Amino acid sequence: MIEFLQTHLPPLVAGLRVTLQLTVGGGICALVLAALAGLARRSSRRWLRWPATVYVEVFRGTSAMVQLFWFYFALPFFGVSLPALVTGVLVLGLNSGAYGAEVVRSAIDHVPRGQWEAGRALNLSDQRILLRIVLPQALPMMLPPAGNLVVELMKNTALVSLITLSELTFAAQVQRAATLETVPLFALTLLIYFVLAQVLLAGVRRIEHYVTRHRGSRA
Amino acid sequence: MQLGRRFVAALAAVLILAWLWPRPGELDGSPGMGHDTLERIRATGVVRVGFANEAPYAYIDPRTGRLTGEAPELARLVFRQLGVPRIEGVLTEFGALIPALKAGRFDVIAAGMYITPQRCREILFSNPTYAVGEAFMVRAGNPLDLHGYEDLRDTPGATIGVVNGAIQLQYARAVGIPEEHIVIFPSAPAAVDGVAAGRVSAYAATALTINDLLQRTSAPLERAMPFEDLVLDGKVVKGYGAFGFRKSDEKLREAFNAVLSTTIGTPTHAKLVEPFGFTADMLPGNVTAASLCKGGT
Repeated sequence: MIEFLQTHLPPLVAGLRVTLQLTVGGGICALVLAALAGLARRSSRRWLRWPATVYVEVFRGTSAMVQLFWFYFALPFFGVSLPALVTGVLVLGLNSGAYGAEVVRSAIDHVPRGQWEAGRALNLSDQRILLRIVLPQALPMMLPPAGNLVVELMKNTALVSLITLSELTFAAQVQRAATLETVPLFALTLLIYFVLAQVLLAGVRRIEHYVTRHRGSRA
Repeated sequence: MQLGRRFVAALAAVLILAWLWPRPGELDGSPGMGHDTLERIRATGVVRVGFANEAPYAYIDPRTGRLTGEAPELARLVFRQLGVPRIEGVLTEFGALIPALKAGRFDVIAAGMYITPQRCREILFSNPTYAVGEAFMVRAGNPLDLHGYEDLRDTPGATIGVVNGAIQLQYARAVGIPEEHIVIFPSAPAAVDGVAAGRVSAYAATALTINDLLQRTSAPLERAMPFEDLVLDGKVVKGYGAFGFRKSDEKLREAFNAVLSTTIGTPTHAKLVEPFGFTADMLPGNVTAASLCKGGT
């Protein structure tokens, strides 16, 4: 057992590092994109709404694996040769961002229209209504689905072995190729993913707790 | 207490971020394409080689973490003579090797890849460095009594496993094994597990791959013996492995071939590849990439 861990844990931890890089980087990228695209889709201006809709539908409607392949293997022919890690972060971020944009949009939609009307009646600008009234109510609604997306993103990182990045799953595959100890190796890999997901979800729950409490104290 | 906990959490976050922060070299782009690769690698002293982690052709030694195998070791020797002291491995899946090479993600494929007419349309090959026949991996005792591709085709219920991107898929199709009896696995270990778990009757690969895998697995598996050589178009099918280059790197390929021709078959070469199970009877003889690309031998 100890010998098993000694041989396999160091390469798996190196793979875990890449998985985390992609999760954190992709997550930040997704957060920004989800906020921008989600708000843009609810904008009254067509030139904001349109690109956001195209972005969301394209990235939700095509396979993440093919997107990765395309960004890594096809873009260089158009003169854009991004490093593997950047490609991974970007594609995963774009992907989760597209799903996240829908979370943002639907949460905003679920704030009763009356809140907007009341705001306008008080002569507040749309921006102020959005920032001060609608978003504080929408935010707690976004968090549970956002937690799902974060875990989903973390697990999607396993796709990037296609573009020469050795993340956790691929590191496990390499170790498996060397020793053919499939069952214990994949059991260990599953466990690492599980623990990672629990940590991420605990983080999201903390934010949820913070946001709801904060909102409560202000109301 | 509250402050202490926050401090510890912040410290942990900073440490994790520092660990995750890209180290020098991790964000290096690919070498790119269109320029003279030979000139560039001579200037930088580093050549990037793509491999798919398949022992004994090209793989990472789990004990040392070093890229080794028939192809990388031979590449080291040849590139040193070309004035490039260092090779750097880029690990990818077998099926992604050619697209990655074409996209300039590395300079050479060093994975013991067979020369085939289809692949020749995509990339250039060096002259072959070894020749090897086919084999099947089956469950212990060979329950279906499979001794060759035709045998498998004519055995009711028998299925064949191949690795994605590997040549054996074409062999299986060429002898007329129906598509629904062919199972494509993502990697060699997956195929081994597939046979062990009874997902397929046999895993078809080169004799070398099969031998190497059997040495390392503890599952009750064996190499199907005797094995009837596969004959297509009146010729015994043998795979000829070589190095792959971009179409634009004719100059690099020629320089590589020149060194290769003075290396293959020498005692130095024999000593270099012998640890990987490559023996004298596996030398390619005077078969060239040009003839293999035309579909001959």
